[in-house]
Amino acid sequence: MLESLLAVGGLMLLRDSVEWEGRSLLKALVKKSALRGEQVHVLGCEVSEEEFREGFDSNINSRLVYHDLFRDPLSWSKPGKALPGGPLEALRALDKRTVSGPATIALDSLSWLLHHLPCPTLCQTLHALSRQDSCPGDTPPGEQVRVLGLLHEELHGPGPLGALSSLAQTEVTLSGMMGQASAQILCRRPRQRPTHQTQWFSILPDFSLELQAEPPLESQPRSDPHTPSVDPTTHLTFNLHLSKKEREAKDSLTLPFQFSSEKQQALLRPGLGQATSHIFYEPDAYDDLDQEDPDDDLDV
Amino acid sequence: MAVAGTSGTGTRSTGSMVAAASTNNVTSFQRRGPRASGADSGCSRLVSIAGTRRSVRNGQLLVSTGLPALDQFLGGGLAVGTVLLIEEDKYNIYSPLLFNYFLAEGIVSGHALLVASAKEDPADILQKLPAPLIDHSYKKECDEDICGHKMESDIKMKIAWRYQLFPKMEGRPVLSSGFGHDYDISKRIPQELIETSKWHGFFLPEKISSTFNVESCSLTSGYMKLLQFIQNIIYEEGFDGSNPQKKQKNILRIGIQNLGSPLWGDDICCAENCDASHSLTKFLYILRALLRTSLSACIITVPTHLIQNKAVIARVTNLSDTVVGLESFIGSEKETNPLYKDYHGLIHIRQIPRLNNLIYDISDVKDLAFKLKKKLFTIERLHLPPDLSDTVSRSSKQDLAESAKLLGPGCGMTAGGKKHLDF
Repeated sequence: MLESLLAVGGLMLLRDSVEWEGRSLLKALVKKSALRGEQVHVLGCEVSEEEFREGFDSNINSRLVYHDLFRDPLSWSKPGKALPGGPLEALRALDKRTVSGPATIALDSLSWLLHHLPCPTLCQTLHALSRQDSCPGDTPPGEQVRVLGLLHEELHGPGPLGALSSLAQTEVTLSGMMGQASAQILCRRPRQRPTHQTQWFSILPDFSLELQAEPPLESQPRSDPHTPSVDPTTHLTFNLHLSKKEREAKDSLTLPFQFSSEKQQALLRPGLGQATSHIFYEPDAYDDLDQEDPDDDLDV
Repeated sequence: MAVAGTSGTGTRSTGSMVAAASTNNVTSFQRRGPRASGADSGCSRLVSIAGTRRSVRNGQLLVSTGLPALDQFLGGGLAVGTVLLIEEDKYNIYSPLLFNYFLAEGIVSGHALLVASAKEDPADILQKLPAPLIDHSYKKECDEDICGHKMESDIKMKIAWRYQLFPKMEGRPVLSSGFGHDYDISKRIPQELIETSKWHGFFLPEKISSTFNVESCSLTSGYMKLLQFIQNIIYEEGFDGSNPQKKQKNILRIGIQNLGSPLWGDDICCAENCDASHSLTKFLYILRALLRTSLSACIITVPTHLIQNKAVIARVTNLSDTVVGLESFIGSEKETNPLYKDYHGLIHIRQIPRLNNLIYDISDVKDLAFKLKKKLFTIERLHLPPDLSDTVSRSSKQDLAESAKLLGPGCGMTAGGKKHLDF
């Protein structure tokens, strides 16, 4: 699953925390894309270049284009030696440079950039970076630009985290259990339901990614079996169930407004030329059918 | 609903009232006025624009939102000159559908469109609109759904036999013809419809790509540019009556996507106490002023789940006219709840405007849920079954699901079947 992540373009957020660090995963993904022959640009802000390149062998190191913001972030030394303009200019430069072919941009850390740039500006720049081409529908998925951003989620409040998550195509949250690291991957494709997956992995010393199966969960202490539910319908003083004879008697009972089926149909069928309404009278057993009007002798 | 039933009368013009009265033989009253026979004449006092109708409650000019179901719950449609605010769902899957329905309805009715977005190119948005359906094919699909239900409950009723012929209580509202069209989401709108329509696009990265330093990304610059753009279009095309046009009056439908997100340069999703927290509220205020003085209707989608300050959400709601919130079940614990198993989310109608009226035009149904089928987006009443399970404890969700199935058909059926209790 982690390998197929690199096939999707756009922004990928790697959220790590103090217990489970994400830089090694970032370096593993960088190594993987370098081995596939893509251009890799790294914007380093938090660690020095030597430390970032440590552990990579020479062919990977030769493919990495490193933009260093760690040594001189505020450009105090002689101009021309370090990147002028600060982090925003560095990001814009990345935007212009990577125009051809598939490329991966690794931002060493988005947290550093969030602290130095206003959040909306960073979001706009990232959005411009990840939609490099004018017609994203035309280029095949392998040709798109991938932006990998490392984000330390404990450093930020819910606001910037939510804003960056809404921009990201993929979000990988690192966690783990008992020394085993896991990645919870949330993949958001446009107009489709987001997919959620958990992948256990480990990083080898040469920064290659090794996927692992889920470690066996240790058996949790079982909760005490709940008491058997009591059936309230037993031991009642009244009858809740009908015996067969009683049911037959109930079915054969004539209900007061249950008419014969012809009358039912006549009532149900809407009359065509029904200018007046008909009165259907079925005399009951106790009805008095005296036609004489008892009010006839009144002089009203 | 009374609104749906009288849609036919709304579209008749004054000229033909005389003819209609004589054919119906209902009344001998005749309208005194210009006796234009049949067609709409220029001197008719009621403005009759294609794709609009008058509300039966207060005579307000209404346009359809593209979803007849939503129109019904909003009191007949969206009033011209008002703002419809959609609060986006968490993963922004369903709110673009409502947005697209609104724009597609504009194209099919021949209205002018203005699409503004900071994320996607407006030309791409227009390519992805749903295709309109002819009436009978949609009805056929509806009937297929109903037939499936009919087979299950064909039992003759013994005591309540008078209700046999009554139609079953459906959650789906009545379709009114002539106002609001049906769309097929799985198909794209045909290209020639887009080309014949008049549309204007506003894509933010293009407009401010020239100067991209920190100062120019001030919070109101994106909004200012959008407001100027809208104002120019309204003035040039004559939607506010400034250039008296010889041609037919038309409605401008404005669609703004993801307003308030950081891509517009706005801070409210990022921080709780942001510096310019009033930029969005000012924008909505000015936008509403522009809309009230022109023949236009606007739909805005706002990611309110990202806004950190609850007071800003309340202000944004108060500054809009109609507010509809979408809550999808993806990722929440409601996804596995058997009560909601048929639906994909809930719709909350949070606010309805009171236009030229003393009372609000709200429907009596407050629990609405939506479902995204393969071809259409339906809004239905959420039927919550009463708890008729045998066991008194409510932890048994299985029984709730059972009773939900049994009470589906409506009021005629008694909840018999698998229950132990026989009365």
